[in-house]
Amino acid sequence: MSLEQIFQQALNGLSFGALLFILASGLSLVFGMMDVVNLAHGAFYMLGAYIALSVVQVSGSFWLAMLAAPLVLGVLGFALEPFLLRRLRGRHLDQVLLTIGVSLVIVDLIGQLWGREVRSLSAPGGLDGSIALIGGVYPVYRLFVIAFGVALAVVMGVVYRRTKIGMLIRAGVQDAEMLGALGVDTNRLFALTFATGAALAGLAGVVAAPVFGIQPGMDTDPGLLYSLVVVVVGGLGTLSGAVAGSVLVGPADTFGKVLFQDVALAVIFAIVALVLLLKPTGLLGRIRVAR
Amino acid sequence: MTSLARWALVALGALGLVTFPYWSGPWESSRFATTVIRDALVLAIFALSLDLLVGRAGMPSLGHAAFFGAGAYAAGIAGQRLATDQLPVTLGAAAAVAALLALVIGVLVVRSEGIFFLMLTLALAQIVFAIAFQWTAVTGGSNGLSGVGRPMLATLDFSAPDLMYVLVAGTFVLTALVLWGLGRSPFGRALMGVRENERRMRALGYDTTRLRLSAFVIAGTMAGVAGALSAYSTRFVSAQDAGLGNSVRAFVTVLVGGAGTLAGPMAGAGLVSVIERVVPSLLPPDLRIAEAILGIVFIVFVLFARQGLVGLGVARYASLRARRR
Repeated sequence: MSLEQIFQQALNGLSFGALLFILASGLSLVFGMMDVVNLAHGAFYMLGAYIALSVVQVSGSFWLAMLAAPLVLGVLGFALEPFLLRRLRGRHLDQVLLTIGVSLVIVDLIGQLWGREVRSLSAPGGLDGSIALIGGVYPVYRLFVIAFGVALAVVMGVVYRRTKIGMLIRAGVQDAEMLGALGVDTNRLFALTFATGAALAGLAGVVAAPVFGIQPGMDTDPGLLYSLVVVVVGGLGTLSGAVAGSVLVGPADTFGKVLFQDVALAVIFAIVALVLLLKPTGLLGRIRVAR
Repeated sequence: MTSLARWALVALGALGLVTFPYWSGPWESSRFATTVIRDALVLAIFALSLDLLVGRAGMPSLGHAAFFGAGAYAAGIAGQRLATDQLPVTLGAAAAVAALLALVIGVLVVRSEGIFFLMLTLALAQIVFAIAFQWTAVTGGSNGLSGVGRPMLATLDFSAPDLMYVLVAGTFVLTALVLWGLGRSPFGRALMGVRENERRMRALGYDTTRLRLSAFVIAGTMAGVAGALSAYSTRFVSAQDAGLGNSVRAFVTVLVGGAGTLAGPMAGAGLVSVIERVVPSLLPPDLRIAEAILGIVFIVFVLFARQGLVGLGVARYASLRARRR
């Protein structure tokens, strides 16, 4: 590989990492707070992309889609949590199984409503071109994705550390039961957490659509699988873990696919298995091991 | 009912099931039911094997399709590379490869529990899927492996629809018998002990890691056999056979039917097959929502009837008996 190619691939890796952060941060948040691995996270991501498709078709505005998709997913998450997960509070494994059912329903209904063909969404006007960068041209949209991912991480970091809601989240990750005993309405907090997780998945669906396209199967790959990879590698349930996981997995996957081509997919999951085996709480995870 | 009468009834039922194509002829000329039941029985074997882990040993694996896929590929590839259609060779290869894979993966996963066990099995199965999907020279990659040989026993060709059915149903009965025996054996009891309280079992002197590993290998081998049967039935292996969707399907089957029982995964396979194969023919053709219906049924069972169809049946039976007294 020439130096220019390495630079290009590094940017590709970073933009993939930024997408992964948007995607995985929601999964990580829900797990940290509720001890639930939301296996419908990929379906939420997929739904976000299809909603964006329709919003852009009707209104012509990508930016409106970036608002609408997270909003719809947030409302959906907020409505689903009390009816489904709350009924099984404390039974974490059953809650995880429940999300499998949610995923089956959402994915099939998407297929029914939007069809089962491969679709595409172009980058918004102004970001759809390319610019000259060190010995080559590079799509502007991918640079935007990097900037957006970084901005989101900063905003989430500030909310996490400096606001009352962030304080509640940190306390909930530590010990949600104790938080309830102190008078916090954990039902509401959990519903909001689940809604935020779903909204982030929806946002990831919109932002990723111009890069990865929109097609059946995207709920699993990259949706669910890659967000699991990121949170497992980085550490379940912490914001810094999601950041570290994305920054590691994005470039690793991109370079892996360039250098090893066929075996890259297997290598990524071998890394995941290794981390789960050696340090089940992830590289940066400090949380207790939940059953 | 005396136990002898019960045995006679089960034997009669099994005989009726295995010989289904031979007495259903008059009203089943299209062979639709035969195909649906055949595929349901493959799913039942697959689900029964998973239930040994999920229901008996309390190991929620979300990667069981890896062994189903390994068995399917092994049966197909062994037949093609060794240029033989003989059932003992291809089915033996399927079982051996699945068992070996289950041993390798099992060693890695048996120490984990709960959600971590679930994610670890998912991740490792995903490696198997990735290999199946990308090693085009051997597995056919994303095109799948077509032209799986016919299963032959000496000169007897099982690929004819009726005989294929008999092969699947016979294997199903055999699997159920083995699992019934396992459940009553000291090994099966010890596994349930591990599920209920592993620390206590360890304190009693059981090597619980080894117990869990044995269960994992047995379950993987049976899933491999199910995979081989699927390959013989359809003469095709898809990478999706080893994918997450197939693992989810087995898990849904076990839970909808009722984990921890023999009848549960069988009933689950029946219900899942009806939803997948019969319900779509009742709906308008442009309404393809079988998976969504399956998802809703699954959610309802997890929320309101965690013991599955069998649990519902037992509760109904108990309430009937109570009323009669």
